[in-house]
Amino acid sequence: MKTYLGVDVGSVTTKLALLCEDGQLAASTYLHTQGKPIVQVQEGLKAIKEQMPPGTEICGVATTGSARYLAGVVLGADLVKNEVTSHAIAAMHYIPEVQTVIEIGGQDSKIIIIRDGVVIDFGMNTVCAAGTGSFLDHQASRLNIKIEEFGEQALKSKMPVRIAGRCTVFAESDMIHKQQMGHKTEDILYGLCQALVRNYFNNVALGKKILPKVVFQGGVAFNKGIIKALNEVLDTEVVVPPHHELMGAIGAALLVHEEMATASSKSTFKGFGISETDFHVSSFICKACPNQCEIAQLFLDGRILARWGGRCDRWENAVAMK
Amino acid sequence: MRIGIPHFGNVYIPVKAMANKLGAGGEDLIIPPPTSQRTLDLGVKYSPVEACLPYKLTLGNLIEACELGADTVLQARGTGICRLGYYAKNQEQILRDLGYDAHFLTIDLSRHKLASILNMIKTLCHGAPWPQIILAFRFGMGKLFALDRIEKEVQKVRAVEIEKGLANSIYREAIQAIDEARDNKEVKRLNREYIDRLKRVPRGPQADPLKIALAGEIYVVIEPFANMDIEMELGKLGVEVERTLTLSRWVKYSLFLNRLGIDEWKEVHKAALPYLKRDVGGDGWESVGEKVICARNGCDGLIHLAPFTCMPETVAQNIMRSTKEDLPVLTVLCDEQMAKPGMMTRLEAFVDLLQFRRKRRRDKGNIKVFSNRLPVCHSEERSDEESHRDPSPELDSGSG
Repeated sequence: MKTYLGVDVGSVTTKLALLCEDGQLAASTYLHTQGKPIVQVQEGLKAIKEQMPPGTEICGVATTGSARYLAGVVLGADLVKNEVTSHAIAAMHYIPEVQTVIEIGGQDSKIIIIRDGVVIDFGMNTVCAAGTGSFLDHQASRLNIKIEEFGEQALKSKMPVRIAGRCTVFAESDMIHKQQMGHKTEDILYGLCQALVRNYFNNVALGKKILPKVVFQGGVAFNKGIIKALNEVLDTEVVVPPHHELMGAIGAALLVHEEMATASSKSTFKGFGISETDFHVSSFICKACPNQCEIAQLFLDGRILARWGGRCDRWENAVAMK
Repeated sequence: MRIGIPHFGNVYIPVKAMANKLGAGGEDLIIPPPTSQRTLDLGVKYSPVEACLPYKLTLGNLIEACELGADTVLQARGTGICRLGYYAKNQEQILRDLGYDAHFLTIDLSRHKLASILNMIKTLCHGAPWPQIILAFRFGMGKLFALDRIEKEVQKVRAVEIEKGLANSIYREAIQAIDEARDNKEVKRLNREYIDRLKRVPRGPQADPLKIALAGEIYVVIEPFANMDIEMELGKLGVEVERTLTLSRWVKYSLFLNRLGIDEWKEVHKAALPYLKRDVGGDGWESVGEKVICARNGCDGLIHLAPFTCMPETVAQNIMRSTKEDLPVLTVLCDEQMAKPGMMTRLEAFVDLLQFRRKRRRDKGNIKVFSNRLPVCHSEERSDEESHRDPSPELDSGSG
């Protein structure tokens, strides 16, 4: 069976999805990145291998997410794609009538506007974390609530409190204030959901025309409180697709499938052996000019695989030459 | 008089050329080191936090010039344009607080008559006779025009070259060679030579790359450090960059022709009129007009570069969003907090968007992003939320 692997290495979680040629999900895994993207990619690959039905062949690998370049080099990916395109493609795959994609992840959130099957506009949060999953994560741990229970708890709220959500710092002090005034935890939790949603529409989605169907994906779509808060604001119900947390990885897999169909060469995937190999990352400061760029380098068994991080292409080219 | 200047793209090259021609040499002109992370760090450290990137970078340049012994510095100012109006006054104060007693020579971009600009040039040239000044000026401008012509070619070649980075290395060489050229004849020869070399760079088979125009606030559009080498990055993504704002044009109009009543932006302002009827400061009015013009000229998209917190460009950004011309616009805010990976994600997504649009237009609207090889699966909404929570390995039977 021919399959295509999509790998989405985000700042908070690492997702792998293996798709069959007919677009079905054959295997998947969802891990916490914990600041160790290479290790998690290796772990994820192991998990995929265990789930793979016998006779499966991987005919293409694509990476996406903020560590897409790193993961691309580690895996020998055929395609490295940004997460906006990946998410849009996956949303259109599951919900062809989609016109708006709301994606809220750990460190960033985006809106993608689609008309007639084509992405026509997108927005990403710029300098603010108040509209993202880590905001909820942080506040949940402050309230001693497991993030998995956040949504359920929030739904119990009958009188949500209004929390100033423009900025995480203010939200936190406001939340503590509301706590000290004796508000119930569930009311505070749902208040946080509303604050995040308000922030999202005032910031990321500002000036965008939101038409149905609205697809809500990304890790935060696990949170039912956020879904409820979104529905309150929108005139339409949001649709949460199956595997919403894997959408980036699924989109990447779909894209590499398309890519390999027209490619003349075989996949450059390095195989499952890389789970066992020893990747080593180090960094140094380039002294060639006053920019003092921090250059990261990736080694495999002492051999240099890639370098990046410079303002100029001095070091990237140095690898290409070898 | 030891004059220090802030950097602004390649502007130091003609200035240096003029100084050399006037026999002033390295003694009198102090070109600070190329804008670097250190420049930015210095600028950020001594600027008010809400100042814009052009302010911070030019301050950094001036500090570095003073460190090398400049006692006089050149800076622009103006009234009613934008915060640029108070750059010079503030920066003068900051330099003084740092212990540099630098005299500020300012060019008023909004009010100075041609005569006072000429006067200033005369002062800077130590009262050299006019014929000599004019010759020196022509020499400097010749270099600037040559550089801009070569750059235009580079913007095209970057998109289609097979060996990525080749056009850039030729361009770097060209900058150095032209900087070192001794007379007009040599500049002309170098100009021809480098354009020839660029034309001979091996190109890939894709004949028709995406075309993206750059517009916005002039400093961040022209200074590669301020926009994180956006042109180079777009070139790597296979995009041809079109930029009407060039240094040679800026010098020609802002310093001279505008003062003679020639309206450089007549066409652009006219194009902007349905949406914005007046100057909003800075380059805001022009940005709106550029969008309209780019849509007419068949560009695939426009990247709008704006310093973070820049009022005129913020006004323009919101108007550009809702004009009836169908041209995708991506606004990139430039400031010291901007990280390159974030910008790259947006650029890549924008380029994908434009590519899909083109594909659709070419196929007369009957195409999905995907060809039909992939069956679209209409999955039922799973009512059981628990199954979302656990992305367990299962052949997904709910879809397809």
